[in-house]
Amino acid sequence: MTLRPSFLDVIDVRKHYGAIKAVDGVSLSVRPGEIVGVIGPNGSGKTTLFNTILGQIKPTGGTVEFCGEDITGMSPLELARRGVGRTFQTLQVFGRLSVRDNLIAAAQESKGTMPGRLFARPDAGLRHRSDEMLGLFRLEHVASLPAGSLSYGQQKLIDIAMAFMPAPRLVLLDEPCAGVNPSLVDELLDLLLALNRTQGGSFVVIEHNMDFIMKLCPHVLCMVEGRVLAEGPPAALQANPQVLEAYLGN
Amino acid sequence: MGDLPQLLVSGIAAGAVYALAALGFTLLWQAAGVINFAQGEFVMLPTFAILIAIKAGASLWLAFLIACALAMLVLGVGFKRVVVDPLVRFGVIPLVIATMGLSIGLKNGTKAGYSALAFPVPSAFPSGQLAFGGVSFSYADLGTLLLAGIIVVGLQSFLNRTVTGRAMQAVAQNTDAARVLGIDVQRMVLYTFLINAVLATVAALLIAPSYLAKFDMGDSIGQKAFFAAIIGGFNQTRGALLGGVLIGVLENIVGFYISPAYKEGVALLLFLAVILFRPEGLLGKAEERKV
Repeated sequence: MTLRPSFLDVIDVRKHYGAIKAVDGVSLSVRPGEIVGVIGPNGSGKTTLFNTILGQIKPTGGTVEFCGEDITGMSPLELARRGVGRTFQTLQVFGRLSVRDNLIAAAQESKGTMPGRLFARPDAGLRHRSDEMLGLFRLEHVASLPAGSLSYGQQKLIDIAMAFMPAPRLVLLDEPCAGVNPSLVDELLDLLLALNRTQGGSFVVIEHNMDFIMKLCPHVLCMVEGRVLAEGPPAALQANPQVLEAYLGN
Repeated sequence: MGDLPQLLVSGIAAGAVYALAALGFTLLWQAAGVINFAQGEFVMLPTFAILIAIKAGASLWLAFLIACALAMLVLGVGFKRVVVDPLVRFGVIPLVIATMGLSIGLKNGTKAGYSALAFPVPSAFPSGQLAFGGVSFSYADLGTLLLAGIIVVGLQSFLNRTVTGRAMQAVAQNTDAARVLGIDVQRMVLYTFLINAVLATVAALLIAPSYLAKFDMGDSIGQKAFFAAIIGGFNQTRGALLGGVLIGVLENIVGFYISPAYKEGVALLLFLAVILFRPEGLLGKAEERKV
């Protein structure tokens, strides 16, 4: 079997703050349709790695390539236009906009030209796509409510739905289960697997919920102190004594 | 009490002008984190632009359009590029100081460069009164209400019913998330500055006939617009409207029934009461902020 060529290549990325090496020579590759998990104790550099991939932090060294193009240090705006999206650890919905408007706002900039958007139809031609996402995330009944008036779990679902609204080629999910009711976690897992299956989405997922990440990701990296300690299939990592030590101590 | 309807209408008309300037305050704050203490001078400068254009032979409406274009260029693009962009990363305080300095500079620049005198500016509306049910309303008040109403409804429709308006709201509510979603934050912020410049020019057109074109005319309107924004709620555009109208109406009622001497204190008293008992403003929402 030949593997498809990777379309995200993170090569020897470093982010140093003086003597503190938040990310120190991390490399990873993601192929189209692949789901890669990133685990590691708090402070191991996972979110900093995301921020450097997405141009929110300029790396000290190394390169990030997407579809063969060097995107190191590119702004989030330029990356969004290339089909790279993300979610944050904390909620990032627009609280005073309706749920549907949140979804449309998440994808409208990829539609048409700037002067066209200035006077475009209010739904930006995204009504059908927003209906589809509302159905998939079971949010139809709250579509017209302000997002800020919903429960944390529902807002988390909106947050994730927004990241997938523009049909991105790659999404970086930062702790999608954080703060989510355990009963919603399985639902979220099914949703992400369905999105991967039906829309061919590729994800890189940071998560502390081991059960979730083991079920979702065929390939997992474990980061400790800014470096990749181990990587491979989830079962191999679960059996790796170094990984267990990083999480549980001696 | 027979004068009350008249007082209410003229108060709402005066308040609508404060509200236009206050709307600019809240929009700039929400989109760019800028508290513009030169907002009064942003009304004064277009007033002089209108005056100069009229003196050069333009009609009032042509002069207004010229002033709009100049305001968008100087008070919109210029203000953003020259004052806000270099300072915004240092936080709110440097910008507050810069806009205070700008206010002093613009005022004294106008005084030294043009004149310290007050100049009459023609009204956009005919003189005279419209009698209705035994009560007379001036055309100026009715015209002011109508024009301010059209501007406010138009602005709200733009913000709530267009793709660009939604993007501007998204930027105002969560800049980081908007950026990651591909919204051009800088462009949306620029649109806000341009809208503020137009609002200030409309306020200038409406208020100049009664305030006259004078270098320090912005002191009063800037202060009242700031109070109106705080009274209504700095994070709500609807709040700016309510704050402006409240100040205008109460000023008129206090001036008529108590004494004109107390008129100027109304906005300040209302402002103090709101700060003490409802600091988030009448329509504002308390916001959590990480410190």
